[in-house]
Amino acid sequence: MAQESLKLWKDWRLHLVVLAIVIVAESIGTHSIPLGPGAILLLPMLYAVIIGLALYFTPLVSDKQSINAEPLVFLSVAVLIAKFGVQAGPAIPQIIEAGPALLLQEFGNLGTIFLALPLAVFLGLKRESIGMTHSIGREANLALITDKYGLSSPEGRGVMAMYIFGTVFGSIFIGLISGFLATVTPIHPLSFAMATGVGSGSMAAASLGPLIAAYPDMSAELTAFSGVSNLISSVSGLYMSIFVGLPLTVKMYEILSRKRDLKAAGGAEDVKKP
Amino acid sequence: MLKNLKEWVIVFIIIGAIMLIGNWIGYDIMPLDALPGLAVLIGISLAGLVIHRLLPFQLPSIAYIGILGLILTLPNMPGSEQIVAWTAEVSLLAIATPILAYAGVSIGRSWFDFVQLGWRTIVIGMFVLLGTFLGSAVIAEVILRMQGII
Repeated sequence: MAQESLKLWKDWRLHLVVLAIVIVAESIGTHSIPLGPGAILLLPMLYAVIIGLALYFTPLVSDKQSINAEPLVFLSVAVLIAKFGVQAGPAIPQIIEAGPALLLQEFGNLGTIFLALPLAVFLGLKRESIGMTHSIGREANLALITDKYGLSSPEGRGVMAMYIFGTVFGSIFIGLISGFLATVTPIHPLSFAMATGVGSGSMAAASLGPLIAAYPDMSAELTAFSGVSNLISSVSGLYMSIFVGLPLTVKMYEILSRKRDLKAAGGAEDVKKP
Repeated sequence: MLKNLKEWVIVFIIIGAIMLIGNWIGYDIMPLDALPGLAVLIGISLAGLVIHRLLPFQLPSIAYIGILGLILTLPNMPGSEQIVAWTAEVSLLAIATPILAYAGVSIGRSWFDFVQLGWRTIVIGMFVLLGTFLGSAVIAEVILRMQGII
């Protein structure tokens, strides 16, 4: 949030650095790397996050700029959300028609539990895996887990690790896979547009960008659907975690880890038998 | 509140100027052509932030901003066509680039924590993102097909 009188606008060094990053990134332009039947799209926003990260390790950017940049991300995301909104208005007939899909795809955010939780248990993680895989691990989820288990609990360590992972790598990773998946899988770009509302503004931008670049004719519709999906996620996301995501993760973790322990015990007996 | 409002306005002017320049370099739209659209987007953002402060509900401010933008551009809303035409001149990608530039600078501080994460966390993290994203897309796909929309 834009905190009281941080005097954000006075950090000219930060704004000039960002201006320079934008000029360089937009000058490089969009490039597409063919990969099998699909393509990975490299967009200016991807260069921007990488250059920004790299500059942190130069004298150009100090901790002060890095701290000030955080509320600026929030304020610039506000402009993006406004853009989402004005694209959604004219598309309201299509949005109402696609309403069931838009609402129900929220449950798809639970996909992490079915994909990542078994993997975490398989890799030998204990209750950390609950914090790690119950959701995408953004601010709201961090607050939820901290509130329920405390930050120093295994669950708290798990969600913190995922928060750090998502902060640094989230937008880069999702930006790379979104365009690739849209070009390589039979899933329609509109479905992917609905999936971009994952719970973080910069991840939404990073995942929608390649879709628009790959399907420019559909850009208005894709943006509208992405916007509404983001809107639904921002309103319902936390409640989804509280009432469905987290209880489901805990239940599944107990089942999966019991299976693992039984297997381990059974395996040990097998060894003893002969 | 007023102090905040003043700071928000100045910050939005700076961010807006950066977006106009990116919009010009990357998408060949002259800053003067994109200015009205960007001003509208910033106006909506400011209004959303103010409404968030004034209303007692526990909704994130971006929800108000999104809903406000949607209402203003509903078909038959007076002036909606003008808003749509203006804001069409501001490329979504041009808005996204500065967001991620600020994000890049801001995540630098987390880098040392990031490199201390084990390989298992990194692998699981990618599957968390993949599962969340793909899960939503698959459900959307199934329902859109059932409805015959795609």
